[in-house]
Amino acid sequence: MSAYLIRRLAGTVPVLLLISLLVFLLIHAAPGDPTLLLLGEETNAAEVARAKERWGLDRPLYVQYLKFLAAAAAGDFGKSFKYAEPVIGVIKTRLPATIELAIFSIIIATLLAIPLGVWAGSRPNSWIDNLGTTCGLFGISMPSFWLAIMLILLLAGALNILPTSGRSTYGVAGPERTGFYLFDSLMQKNWPAVWDMLTHVFMPALALGVNMLGILMRVTRSAVLEVMNEEYVVTARAKGLAEKNVVWRHVASNALIPVITVVGLELGTLLSGSIIVETVFAWPGSGSLLITALNARDYPLVTGVVMTYTMAFVAINLIIDGLYAIVDPRIRY
Amino acid sequence: MNRRHRQTLVVSLAALIMFVGTRVETNAQTRVSVGVTETIETHNPYGDSVSLLYGIWSEVTGPFCTYSYGKGDFEGRLAERWKVENPTTWIFSLSKNYKFNDGSPVTAEDVVHSIMTRVIKDPQSKQKASVAPSIVNAEAVDKFTVRVITDKPTAPLLSFLCDRLIVTSKAAFDKYGRAAADKEHMMGGGPYRLKELIPGQRLVIAKRPDHPAAKKNPRAPDEVVYRVMRETEQRVTALLNDEVQIAQFIPPHLRQRVEKSRNLKITPVDSVEIMFLAMQPKPPFDKKEVRQAVCHAINRDQIIATLLEGFASRLDGPLGPGQYGYDANLKPKLNYDPERAKKLLAQAGFPGGVDVELQTPVGRYTLDKQLTEAMIPMLNAAGFRARLLTPEWATLWASVQKGTIPFYYMGRGSVQDPSAALHQYFHTGETPRIGYSNPKLDELLDKEQQEFDPKKRRQYLSQAMSILTDDAPACFMWRHKLLWGLNNRVEYQPLPDARIYAIDMKVRR
Repeated sequence: MSAYLIRRLAGTVPVLLLISLLVFLLIHAAPGDPTLLLLGEETNAAEVARAKERWGLDRPLYVQYLKFLAAAAAGDFGKSFKYAEPVIGVIKTRLPATIELAIFSIIIATLLAIPLGVWAGSRPNSWIDNLGTTCGLFGISMPSFWLAIMLILLLAGALNILPTSGRSTYGVAGPERTGFYLFDSLMQKNWPAVWDMLTHVFMPALALGVNMLGILMRVTRSAVLEVMNEEYVVTARAKGLAEKNVVWRHVASNALIPVITVVGLELGTLLSGSIIVETVFAWPGSGSLLITALNARDYPLVTGVVMTYTMAFVAINLIIDGLYAIVDPRIRY
Repeated sequence: MNRRHRQTLVVSLAALIMFVGTRVETNAQTRVSVGVTETIETHNPYGDSVSLLYGIWSEVTGPFCTYSYGKGDFEGRLAERWKVENPTTWIFSLSKNYKFNDGSPVTAEDVVHSIMTRVIKDPQSKQKASVAPSIVNAEAVDKFTVRVITDKPTAPLLSFLCDRLIVTSKAAFDKYGRAAADKEHMMGGGPYRLKELIPGQRLVIAKRPDHPAAKKNPRAPDEVVYRVMRETEQRVTALLNDEVQIAQFIPPHLRQRVEKSRNLKITPVDSVEIMFLAMQPKPPFDKKEVRQAVCHAINRDQIIATLLEGFASRLDGPLGPGQYGYDANLKPKLNYDPERAKKLLAQAGFPGGVDVELQTPVGRYTLDKQLTEAMIPMLNAAGFRARLLTPEWATLWASVQKGTIPFYYMGRGSVQDPSAALHQYFHTGETPRIGYSNPKLDELLDKEQQEFDPKKRRQYLSQAMSILTDDAPACFMWRHKLLWGLNNRVEYQPLPDARIYAIDMKVRR
């Protein structure tokens, strides 16, 4: 297992290098100039030249990249042009919000998708199967930004039961310790803050998770359909087990492996989806930070956020591979 | 699902709905929440250069002086009065009543520190060009008097300093260092203090009841929460739900949703942002007749009446009423006249029409794409063969700044005094945004910038604007009427420059 882990970790190095080069080249190739965007409408040529020198933009591109690479190897993504603070520090303040949102999206998606998928797969062509398939299609097809606006209009507007945006109501949350509002509020036993956080996270998490819900539901259904005809399922039925037990103990547990793979892959999609959803809901996470950085052509910050997402994606895949061995004892590395 | 499970589910759902319906109440005395469109990203008051933040930071730290739209002139605040000692030297006398949060007075040393150390010399400052473009030195004459020296005579200096210069504590900076002073020990002399800033989400300021300005208006809110809400639907919904009591920039097509509520109203205000079509003097716009033909081709009144539902004021020159130097009798006026446009095109050597590409930002200004879409058939009816391009803002803006876009729709904000804007776009060699050059215009613009007699300065400005309108390097279109949604519990008159001053609000308790 440890040899496998080392091999996998070594394999991530070229991936990270390639991604860093691609991001660096693409962001520099994009039209737009950070000095012109950040120094205000009344800036002049002398100010622009000073800023370029300060930010190292007057040097050849390959020098800028090599400098970035050397610093990144030591865990330093440089200083943000916009915030004038180390990129790592800026990302650290925003990442907990995105992780919290992603966790809630996964919870919503899996809690709804797996039972619905198992139910639909165990009763093919029934009304519940048709309903589940329709829901899955709806989830996959729905653009998150549109769904986000619709949720605001319905739940915050027409029904007026949820706040329109933001991560918390001012004055409710206690002092921030970890950046994870729910965790901090639970530790402080601040129940109004816990509830406040849940009301704020529900809409963005749903908007973000619906796509994953659709995919998970369809994958679960397919996996269940496949397992339903296995011999051990027939044996279980022949032993006289109740259908409920056959489905949930024998079928569902064996259909989980492809579901775990999809959850892992979709986690990466959640991170990229959060860019839109966070912007619509004014959720102060790394997704909205990336939009701000892109609009300002803040090269170090854009590169830093994308590299963070890449590393998260690689780490998630490693964890998922590890989970296979736990779910299926036959798999050994 | 058996009966017991169903019952449990129904009870749980009912409890959840009741719980969701319970709003969290907090115990501030009076609080106003404002839905704003610009992001609030940094604790450094000098680290950004956007209109909203100048207003908020000015309220926390001053303001140094302010522009009164009612009087059409600048008014003292922290700087009570000023005089021009000679064309490059200004003397500012400070009020002795402004005190920092810790009770220490705001002194000339703090003003000098803010101008020289924070705005001009600090590499993290993004405000030098906007606040102190011509200032070369600032020094304390005594504890409450500051001398400011410019590198050339700058008559419109106040338009850079007022509502923009943020005065922070030198003592706090020296004691804690820049980052900690900004983040943990923000000291200001304004009627509000910074209470909380969550970048990208909200900024909260709390009233200092002992401040002279707060004593003058005891109904000003105790706390103001600025919430970032970029989506218009979100701002309108939050206003309807009483999540915010003031919402910036309601688009005309959504105003009826607000007006239907008995508790809300729409307050329109003429913006000081001038909208125009810029034309680089390169073929075919190197010919004055072509530029004038563009101006005659656009039916501004029709666009204002239909797409903008009347929420804009037509511009017949660079300025409108309330802006410094506005001249109601400015001539010539290039009115809508498509037949004249055709004749001018023919005179310019394009009797069969000419191809032009108009570029516009999308979503940056009110209905920018829709308005320019409406201009295309108008231009075509006048003999142009026009095409609309809609690049992403960062791309368009960078190209405009480099002077590579020949024909574009743009706005220029914060034009209380037009000097900076006119220099920036039309003076030879200032910026390549239009690339226009006219020695006569340059002479007039130089004179107005060096003329401290307001009457003479207005005359120079008027002559300069007359040349601009006739030579038409830009067609001046309109100023939008910005629509603000307000809860009836809050009395507030929004300002044309979109700055928000909580101290001017009155809240019904």
